Amino acid sequence: MDAPVAEGEVLAIAAQIFAALVDGEEGRLVPWPAPQPEPEHDVAAWVDVAGPWAGRASLETSSDAAADLARALLGLAPGAPVPDDEVADALGELANVLGGNVKALLPHYGALGLPRVAGALPGDDEGRAVRRVPLAWHGHSLVLTVWERSPLAGAADGGEVR
Amino acid sequence: MRPDTFAYVADLVRRRSAIRVEPGKEYLVESRLGPLARAHGLDLDDYVQRLRQGATEGELTGVVEAMTINETSWFRDVGPFAALRPHVLPLLRGAGLGDRLRVWSAACSTGQEPYSILMALADEPAVPVDVLATDLNEQVLDRARSGEYSQLEVNRGLPAPALVRYFERAGAQWRVKAELRSRVQFRRHNLLDPAPGGPFDLVFCRNVLIYFDVATKRAVLDRIARVLRPGGLLVLGAAETTLGVHEGFERVEAGALVLHRPVAGGSTAGPATAAGPASAAGPASAPLNAPTPRGVPAPLGAPTPRGVPVPLGSPFAVASPAPLPVVSAFGTSRPAAAAALPAPRTTARTTPPATAPSQRGQS
Amino acid sequence: MRALVVDDSRTMRRIVAATLQDLGFEIAEAENGAAALALLESGLTFDLACVDWNMPQMDGLEFVSQVRTGNRWRAITLMMVTTESEQEQIVRALAAGAHEYLIKPFSPDALRDKLQLLGLLPAVAGGVA
Repeated sequence: MDAPVAEGEVLAIAAQIFAALVDGEEGRLVPWPAPQPEPEHDVAAWVDVAGPWAGRASLETSSDAAADLARALLGLAPGAPVPDDEVADALGELANVLGGNVKALLPHYGALGLPRVAGALPGDDEGRAVRRVPLAWHGHSLVLTVWERSPLAGAADGGEVR
Repeated sequence: MRPDTFAYVADLVRRRSAIRVEPGKEYLVESRLGPLARAHGLDLDDYVQRLRQGATEGELTGVVEAMTINETSWFRDVGPFAALRPHVLPLLRGAGLGDRLRVWSAACSTGQEPYSILMALADEPAVPVDVLATDLNEQVLDRARSGEYSQLEVNRGLPAPALVRYFERAGAQWRVKAELRSRVQFRRHNLLDPAPGGPFDLVFCRNVLIYFDVATKRAVLDRIARVLRPGGLLVLGAAETTLGVHEGFERVEAGALVLHRPVAGGSTAGPATAAGPASAAGPASAPLNAPTPRGVPAPLGAPTPRGVPVPLGSPFAVASPAPLPVVSAFGTSRPAAAAALPAPRTTARTTPPATAPSQRGQS
Repeated sequence: MRALVVDDSRTMRRIVAATLQDLGFEIAEAENGAAALALLESGLTFDLACVDWNMPQMDGLEFVSQVRTGNRWRAITLMMVTTESEQEQIVRALAAGAHEYLIKPFSPDALRDKLQLLGLLPAVAGGVA
């Protein structure tokens, strides 16, 4: 068995989150144009899932994008000042909604941890990236990743980051 | 786009729906209203200017509709569905209801309406319900047949007790359970053609006549009248009426709901219209292939359940938290009573653990 | 009418409050179930509480249970607004006494639809421009 969630499902979840909460309509969040190299990300938000399947759902992007996301969520004008802690809260909430919807796809209930935000993912406890979905939002790079720390019983070993 | 154009649209939309169009979302106004303006041969600023000088209710509704996210609502306007068991069924019985209730949902779009009808009648033990649901568009019919809806779509006006009772998860979507899906027959049909089958006890034709000119409206209503059995009832949209359009219907009140019923002895109203769709199409403003409306927002003046006496056991009784004991929707008398709730999933699941308190932290 | 918005995310509190305010509600906010309960115990009355599930101190399910167990706050309509979307979670919330359940992500229209279902919308608003 490969990754517990399909790429299409992660995409669908993300599209709905952005349509409902961020953009007011679909179509603003699209796959990252593949040959183009992804820029550096300097902010990450994530939530952990605990249960028979243990893992993490994360969101990585640039701080500029994060500020724009926060403005869109909060209904602020473009370029309006938005304090760092509000940006962090907004990004954390996006990770929260992403994680909650991803975990609902699992065959067993998983408990959602509280969201965390930092300059980068901790890098030592994510587990294996089983779904990596690079996206573009208003030109910004946004990468959603589903990490697996302990797979479901009976899942095949190995598997690649897609 | 001029700032005052944006301000006007944002204000209009905000007053008539819960949508806020904030600075920064000018692109939304452009992408949603631009086509509408161009359909009138105007640019957006000129179109809005024209609206400000004097717009019809239909034009304003059209603007708001274009700006809202287009998921069709379940139990749209609530009232017609809440009234089905306590008020509409007794009326039909009084006129001699047969052993089955036959319903036609005309312009059913992605299926929310026919499924809502079934959910509203699900606890009515005595009468099995058959629903014929039609639409012009085969694509939306396929979606309706699948009974699968996104998270965003099931959030639209579907009572939570109904969600858990009549739906099951299908990946990232929710799917109407087979027991309900099997009661609806979906078929492609053009309203300008002779009605499909019948006779029906109940016809829902909601918020679609508004897209037609008067002659076409009459033609469609004629066809509906012909397939309603004596005493059968027509349910229109919240702000719609046959008044001034078709004299062959009379108003009927069922609780707070207004229905229409073909006048006994039948009369068709207005000038004779030729039978074929081609001639019934009328002027260019009534296209033959009228777009199936989706997501037209109910006007804020639409009837709400408040003040409508709602019997215990109704799906809508859960609305009132005041003196009555809380009645969960769909037949349970206490929220804790699990008997009427869906059977647990057969796949093994762990009991959801209590959420461990921990700080929402930022590192 | 007054609404209590309970969520540990300030962002989400603002999003919910914005729509409710547009619909005519006065808003009070609390960042978890314990803080929300304290507001109720201080004597403030509300017609509606929109409650997140996963929060520190006291989660939304516990808050709903507490409100519904006593007789003191019978007039409050309780709607959970949460990312928990498994069928059994919704069942648990309704069993604990929540009147409604809105899954995140939601659009402002979806929140408004729920309020219409609950009979909480103002009778008539807006008019011909």
